[in-house]
Amino acid sequence: MDAPALLTAARAIIGGAIAAGGICALAAGAIGVLRFPDVYTRLHAAHAGQFIGAPLVLLGLLVLSPHIDVAVRLLLLAGLVVVMAPVMTHVVASAAHAAGLAPITGKYTAPRPGARRP
Amino acid sequence: MIAALIAAALAAALLLSLPRLFFGPTLYDRVLAMNVACLHAALIAAALSVMSARADWLDAAFALAFATFVLNVAMLKFFRARTFQAALASGGETR
Repeated sequence: MDAPALLTAARAIIGGAIAAGGICALAAGAIGVLRFPDVYTRLHAAHAGQFIGAPLVLLGLLVLSPHIDVAVRLLLLAGLVVVMAPVMTHVVASAAHAAGLAPITGKYTAPRPGARRP
Repeated sequence: MIAALIAAALAAALLLSLPRLFFGPTLYDRVLAMNVACLHAALIAAALSVMSARADWLDAAFALAFATFVLNVAMLKFFRARTFQAALASGGETR
């Protein structure tokens, strides 16, 4: 096996492994969004999946990427997702709390006055 | 090839979050599911860009990510104020 074919195979293996790890995190987040009992726990699951999984998938695609312009944009997109996912989670949780939804599980669940169960 | 597999797995994860979008008990569940679905769509566009070796799909991915951000904030602000003409600076929360 000559060197370029070996390099292509190594890129496929390494990029596929990184992206597979990210896809596992994203799938866990999606299952958490589907199965968790409360909007706050669903937010937690979705944020964990996005914040860990999406940059891993994009880094795996960066290892697989054919051109430098695709690679640079993948890196920029990973940075954007890392910055944006906590902001989105905070916005949704803050809006749900301001609307009076009380969390239903956990130890420190004293709802604010006037809160109602979802 | 591997990028196509990644896109297929991301599509499966997107489908997992769709029931929460349509049957979510509260508005915030729907907003969260929309956020998750649009981020997965952006990642699928990135995988398609690597698969087809073109950078155009990645511009679509950027557009999806930014549009998701703006759409989520606008929707939450609308359902908090119940008007499209909320005061830019108000003393308290208008609900």
